[in-house]
Amino acid sequence: MQKKVLALLLIISCGMFMGLKVITDKIPRKIIPGASIIYIPSGKYLKFASFGHSSLLADLIYIWAIQYFSNYSVPERFQYLSHVFSIISELDPEYLDPYQVGALIAIYDARDFDTAIDILELGLKKNPEQWIFPWQAGHYAQILLKDFELAKKYYQTAMEIEGSPPIIKRLYSNAIYELGDYHTAWKNWLEIYNNSDDERVKKIASNHLYRTKAAMDIQKITGALKEYQNKFNRLPEKLADLVASRFLDSVPQDLDGQDYVYDSDTGEIETAVIPWKR
Amino acid sequence: MKIRAVALNTFKEAIRDRILYLLLFFAAVSFILSRLLSLLTVGDKTKIIIDAGLSSLSIFGVLMAILMGTGLVYKEIDKKTVYTLLSKPISRNQFILGKFLGLIITLFIMLLVMTAIFFIIILLHSGTISWKLFVSLGFVFLELCLITSVALLFSCFSTPILSSIFSLSFYLIGHLSWGLETLIKKMSPGITKILTQVAYTLLPDLENFNFKTEVVHNLPIQPEMFLFSFFYGITYTFFILMLAMLVFRKRDFI
Repeated sequence: MQKKVLALLLIISCGMFMGLKVITDKIPRKIIPGASIIYIPSGKYLKFASFGHSSLLADLIYIWAIQYFSNYSVPERFQYLSHVFSIISELDPEYLDPYQVGALIAIYDARDFDTAIDILELGLKKNPEQWIFPWQAGHYAQILLKDFELAKKYYQTAMEIEGSPPIIKRLYSNAIYELGDYHTAWKNWLEIYNNSDDERVKKIASNHLYRTKAAMDIQKITGALKEYQNKFNRLPEKLADLVASRFLDSVPQDLDGQDYVYDSDTGEIETAVIPWKR
Repeated sequence: MKIRAVALNTFKEAIRDRILYLLLFFAAVSFILSRLLSLLTVGDKTKIIIDAGLSSLSIFGVLMAILMGTGLVYKEIDKKTVYTLLSKPISRNQFILGKFLGLIITLFIMLLVMTAIFFIIILLHSGTISWKLFVSLGFVFLELCLITSVALLFSCFSTPILSSIFSLSFYLIGHLSWGLETLIKKMSPGITKILTQVAYTLLPDLENFNFKTEVVHNLPIQPEMFLFSFFYGITYTFFILMLAMLVFRKRDFI
């Protein structure tokens, strides 16, 4: 009898606390989202507190960071972005994913290029053999900031790291082209063309060589056109007129031996084909 | 032969302890949870599983060593079975060594079981197991040997609760002592620096057995590091065991 009463009490109490749990969950509570983040100490202290399990602690903070920074109910969540990822770096410097994901969050969510660069720089500092970090920094500088000088700097750093893929040299050469240094760009693309055995890479290099030569030629022709216009107060009818008036030694042709397309009304010069559709 | 008999008896007694299976259960749960935890990450999921698995193995192994080791000698004294044992032609040193070996065998078997569960989870996830994992697990076992000897030492003269606190402190100090090196570097030369240096050398450095980061990131480890860490573990355990024998010899049971 006593046993039955006990079992009954057990079931009743279990049902009661489960019911109470459901009720308390429904009561709205005032919370400050993200308030706990201010209590996170520096990575150095956390490493002490991890008692030899710093790698696991880095994993846990990283997983927490992914959830926290994707929580849109905390508008000021990016305030400690750099701090959180520096903690992970301190706990497990060789853990590469957090640097990349941290930079990704900084760029695409926080729209904070400087923080992204800081995180990637930290990654490179802790892992100097990893070309991925300067490559990513260069990529962000090129694509998002259109800062080709910065992109060139990072691509160069990535290129100098052993084991970096050949594509980085191509990106580097492209950044040089975008900076307007056509002669260096030509030299680089020619080197890529001559040193590659891959037909696809050769084709890419050839298209870039075509584009670079066209840019140099168009620059030269445009200069001659300006001089012509200054002297005759009009644009020439055809490019051959520039040679006749001695503003050019000869009319340049593109890499495929075709003439450039000249519009005598506007003075614009274009290649006969789009470089990527040769 | 006498040591073997004590060891075998200790092992038989230890595997009947329910706390062992409770810890084993929690270790298994944490291995399974590591698989779930890895689903929340972006990037390398295997790293999370290995990190959580190795840490669980180490933490639960240490808990087993401490919770069982601290009661090894105390229980014998408390239940007065030590009188019967020591009245036989068995020395106190043999008794301590037998107790130590008995628990080590138990821990070894438990570690094997936990490793099997851990490896199954890794295999199900990635399909491969790095040989470096075995090295890391070997050093986890070496750390457990040292912790067991410490628990046994405290068990010789203290109650299980106090011994557990002392052994846990030893474990924590062992993983914190590397911080003294930073302190020493910042200290100006003098007697304090020398004393700190002595304390740093004397205190256990359990980080010498921690190769988790190297395993997870597949980093190269100098063979000398393995070798010297191995001998460091062996000699430190030997030292603590000798200390335990000395303490036990001094104990008066009358």
